Amino acid sequence: MRNAIREDQVGDHALSGYAVVWCRDFRLQAVKRRRGSGEPAALVDDTQRQSIVLCCNALAARSGVEPGIPTVQALARCPQLQVDRPSPAAELAAARMLLEGAFGWVPGIEETGPGILTLDLATEPPAQWHESASRLHDRLAALGLEVVIGLGETPALARLAAQAALHAGIEVWHLRREERLGKLDQLPLIIAETGANLNDKLRLWGLQTLGAFARLRREEVAARLGDEGVELWLRLTGRLRRPLRLAKLEQLFEAHHDFDYEVRERDPLLFVVQRVLEQLAGRVAQTGRAATAVHFLLTFADGACHAKRLALPEPTLDPGLLFRLVSGHLDAFEMKAAVVALRLRFEPSDPVASQKTLFGAGLKNRHHYEETLKRLRKIVGNDRIGSPRPVDSHRPGLFDKAPLPAELSDSHRSSQARQRDCGRPARPILPGALSQGAGPPVTGPTLRKYPLGFRTSVQLRDGIPLRVESSRVSGVVTAWAGPWKSGGDWWHQGQQWERREWDVELLNQGIFRLVETGREWLLEGYYD
Amino acid sequence: MSVIGKSKSEALDSLRKQLGRQIKSGTVLLQEREQKTIRLVTGLDGLNASLGGGLPQGQLTEIIGRGPSRGGGVIMAALLSGARSEGRYVMLLDIGAGFSIGSFPEKDLESLLWVSCDSARQAVEALDVATRDENFPLFLLDGRDCDPSDWNSVRAQQWYRILNQLRQREAVAVIFARSEVTSATKHRLELVSRLALDDLHQERETILSRTRFQPLRRVVEEQEEQLRVG
Repeated sequence: MRNAIREDQVGDHALSGYAVVWCRDFRLQAVKRRRGSGEPAALVDDTQRQSIVLCCNALAARSGVEPGIPTVQALARCPQLQVDRPSPAAELAAARMLLEGAFGWVPGIEETGPGILTLDLATEPPAQWHESASRLHDRLAALGLEVVIGLGETPALARLAAQAALHAGIEVWHLRREERLGKLDQLPLIIAETGANLNDKLRLWGLQTLGAFARLRREEVAARLGDEGVELWLRLTGRLRRPLRLAKLEQLFEAHHDFDYEVRERDPLLFVVQRVLEQLAGRVAQTGRAATAVHFLLTFADGACHAKRLALPEPTLDPGLLFRLVSGHLDAFEMKAAVVALRLRFEPSDPVASQKTLFGAGLKNRHHYEETLKRLRKIVGNDRIGSPRPVDSHRPGLFDKAPLPAELSDSHRSSQARQRDCGRPARPILPGALSQGAGPPVTGPTLRKYPLGFRTSVQLRDGIPLRVESSRVSGVVTAWAGPWKSGGDWWHQGQQWERREWDVELLNQGIFRLVETGREWLLEGYYD
Repeated sequence: MSVIGKSKSEALDSLRKQLGRQIKSGTVLLQEREQKTIRLVTGLDGLNASLGGGLPQGQLTEIIGRGPSRGGGVIMAALLSGARSEGRYVMLLDIGAGFSIGSFPEKDLESLLWVSCDSARQAVEALDVATRDENFPLFLLDGRDCDPSDWNSVRAQQWYRILNQLRQREAVAVIFARSEVTSATKHRLELVSRLALDDLHQERETILSRTRFQPLRRVVEEQEEQLRVG
């Protein structure tokens, strides 16, 4: 037996099931799907010296048009014949539409051939198969694609069922396990898509239907018909199984648009971007995924390209949000030449990775937060926003500006806040009752610093400040504490620092911090 | 004609009487709304008492310290700490970049977004943008180093827009300043106590318990009185 034939007779496959979605005359339907199917139509290949018919619809076939005949002859047989060239772009779009529709039903899908999908129905109860198939048929019909759907216990039987549906002219054909032989008795041999030699042999034996062939003994078939006969016998008896080569979801996450004209202005470009984003978002939504980043590629008339990956703070499929993300980038981008093509791709999300903790608090809307940050940066500057974090240094006042965490750790939250999350009423929190988790305890009033400090003249008595004079504040010192000496960075040439701090209370003014750096006195800030 | 006119005027009088019983006046509506305002309980007894239970959501609140060392910074730190324990994010709009990281417990900084602003006008512009974001229920505008005249550069309509946005998001904005900032503020408190050098080593709860607030006359009441006088 050939290696390609894989027999899998062991095990109970009563619950397994497959569907084959078959789009008849796929290439023709891809081109004609928006123009209706009420007229005879054919696709022709006019790249050769003599133009010939590649495929035609049923109306054209009734007038005697068939694949392979010259186009002139086809037009002579059917003067109303609508002739078109094949369109790879239309075929790609139609294939994605098929795939997108099928992903709305089950996740395991194989692109078996042009316009043919095989679906693994293991994720759905058998009782719902027929109804789901009808729903998919209607959805695709609304998009201009006429399909038939075959249901069976193996991929081969499902394909057979789809062929039977095509033959019988019905939408959905279900070849159930318990009535398989009975239904195969109704099907002619030609449906099995076997070679002409085998068909002739079987006809000579007097076999007219697939059911009759399936009733033969396997040994007799093997002795007389060899591998081809055994393969057909295994297919018909539901013993030929194969794993599906599953289609990747990423195929759905990309869209391409070639402009019919050169786009020089931003507005028409944004219009197309918005439309493409909406289509992509709708398509991806059916897969249960979302986008974590948008890749876009602009191709210019002078051959140059502009590619950019725009990351999203959180997976989303909100078309408005995605459009703002792309348009925000394009607003700042200078187009030096006309745009001729646009390609957009969504980076799919991993739903598990975005699972939030049960009680942890976090940003309600990360997208909105990112937008707010962008706008604030435009107002105050890029380096003036952040969540303050202490740095590993003794130099006073240094801090880093870290991004605000999207999730707040639960350890510093009060039990009241957790109770609130559990639906219990919250009670007021006393600041002092909070856990002193990270960092040393902080006492006393806060220091409010003057960023550059004010040069100050300090009158001393016995080395102790007596009076302070500066452009900011002046007064008599009524109480003092200090000095506290600190220094550092002496191991870095030119960065050494040394200071002596005094806390002084000025009469009727407040509490201030004075710093003596050796060369001068500075008023560094005040306590509040 | 006169008969019709008489019946009309009687009908109008009757309608007015009925409406007068059913429709509330603007003052009554304002009072009712005031009573229904949801408040953010701060845990600071003095502040809560002065504000009628806590910081009113959807409102601007001014805390005024006429000079340094009145305790405004301690209140700010307490609000920050309370927000962190409740798992809420806080945005601090710091006019003059006087923020001193050593004055705040490290744990409280996790939920703080610090925005350094050059001027009152820039800070209010940033607040205008930020209050549209539902992620922040509490905004602290630190204008303690602002010259009182700086606030004049802010247009009144911008304050009212901010107020409207706060109402929509049920957020709270607290302004720390040296003097009155805007008439859009409904609650204004003055810090009347002073800190002494000994307080540098006191626990913050002790300082807060000694901090005294003087509720200034509420703006709404002022406006109503002006209307009455007018």
